[in-house]
Amino acid sequence: MKRRPFHAAVIGAAVCLAVLVLLAFHSAPPEYAPHTTFVERPVEETGATNRVASVYLNYRLYDSILEILVFFVAVLGVRYYLGRRERAALPSLAESEVVRTSAALLFPLALLLGVYLAALGHLSPGGGFGAGVIMASGLLLTSIAVGIESIERRLRRAALERIERAVLLVLLTMMLLPLLFGSAPFTDLLPKGRPGTVLSGGSILLYNVLIAAKVLVGSWLVLGSFVRHRGEI
Amino acid sequence: MIARYALLGLLPVVAVAALSQRRRLAAIIGMGLFSILLAVVYLLLHAPDVALTEATIGVALVAAIYVLAIRRTGRLTVVADEAPRLLSREGDRIVGLEHEILEGFARHLGLDLSIQFVPYRDVADLVSRGEADIGAGGLVPDENVGGLVTKAYLETALFTLGSTPTPAASVPPAVHYEGYFDDLDPEAIYRSTDPVTLDLARFLAVRRSDAPVDSIVRHPKQSGYAFLTSGRRRSLHADLEAYLDGLRDSGRLDRLIRRFLG
Repeated sequence: MKRRPFHAAVIGAAVCLAVLVLLAFHSAPPEYAPHTTFVERPVEETGATNRVASVYLNYRLYDSILEILVFFVAVLGVRYYLGRRERAALPSLAESEVVRTSAALLFPLALLLGVYLAALGHLSPGGGFGAGVIMASGLLLTSIAVGIESIERRLRRAALERIERAVLLVLLTMMLLPLLFGSAPFTDLLPKGRPGTVLSGGSILLYNVLIAAKVLVGSWLVLGSFVRHRGEI
Repeated sequence: MIARYALLGLLPVVAVAALSQRRRLAAIIGMGLFSILLAVVYLLLHAPDVALTEATIGVALVAAIYVLAIRRTGRLTVVADEAPRLLSREGDRIVGLEHEILEGFARHLGLDLSIQFVPYRDVADLVSRGEADIGAGGLVPDENVGGLVTKAYLETALFTLGSTPTPAASVPPAVHYEGYFDDLDPEAIYRSTDPVTLDLARFLAVRRSDAPVDSIVRHPKQSGYAFLTSGRRRSLHADLEAYLDGLRDSGRLDRLIRRFLG
């Protein structure tokens, strides 16, 4: 109850920023390029060898921010409605030893794959969204292995919600920041780097890592809520 | 090229197979299979990014959310106290008359049966709060139980046992009780002077265990074993009544009763 004003302020700030992003986009529409240029030029222009990433995290970043907002609202809705339900009172069902051991073995692999996809999303197929989902699935597997209670003790929900909102604010700020430097919003101002190396592609690497973090936390909040309130692991 | 068309042809087959599954878990697995095949098709179409997203979302996230959602809705959750011959554990297995009835009912609804043993006094509360679908385990519900009660499937009688307290040293180990009495402290019958009321199935088990019982009073009231559902689950209640009527009419219920209690 006490923290409600804080939550309202954060959500309000996020909504205001989102409106600002939309207004900024409206006042300075990005240059519409014929689709051939997306295929032919992006490596010089964005520094990213994965052309898909260069489209959705550079040329069409404004599309992606809307997707991030949709995801944020979905997580918020799940948390709101399930947060009002009492948690399930039935004892949880124990999984077999085989399931628990193999679930625990898969977690580090999922984490590694997630970090790889997020860190190299601008070079090869991958990207923040898939990376976040894979890591959240890894966490779900771990909760099969060690129990949801043990994970919740280490990852407190309130802290996770704060992280999720903070990452969203950072993302929105990053997209608006070019306004301060006299450029159109969504412009990539970071150096492009040498294509093919990890530190290339301007802001795409940063966006991928931030989106991965946001999707990881958001998916875990949703999955964790479902585990706690509907089923059991 | 051939592989792509073969996979594209396989997609509707898998989709129809997934949709026609009666068990929900099988349907979800079918959906995951569909997503994997679709991801391979994307990969063959030179769209590895889309393939990756399809595989992670379709197989991992969506399947996980569905599985979590059906863990309660795709199964018939029964809370019960152990009652000898009606519903009890035998090693890893659950056996008894009620188990046969509930298993058949769950199969009839296309659900997986899940039985959880809880103390007798918690059964009605868990059912009324919607944590479980059906309360069972030799329930003899009275009028103010708070929920929908089926017609009794089997008559029983209630017995009130009274005893003089025995010194603690002479209390035999509780192992006599075969783990039937989660709800009442097995030694309560020995130690306390408070009378304990038991239904026929539990009463017989107590009698077999040589408990020093001084007085036995049989209640004159007609009573019977029944199942309990939440007051909000009218259709489930009606389904269960109809299923029990069907068992009764076909004579299967009598055969089951003879098999477990005869």
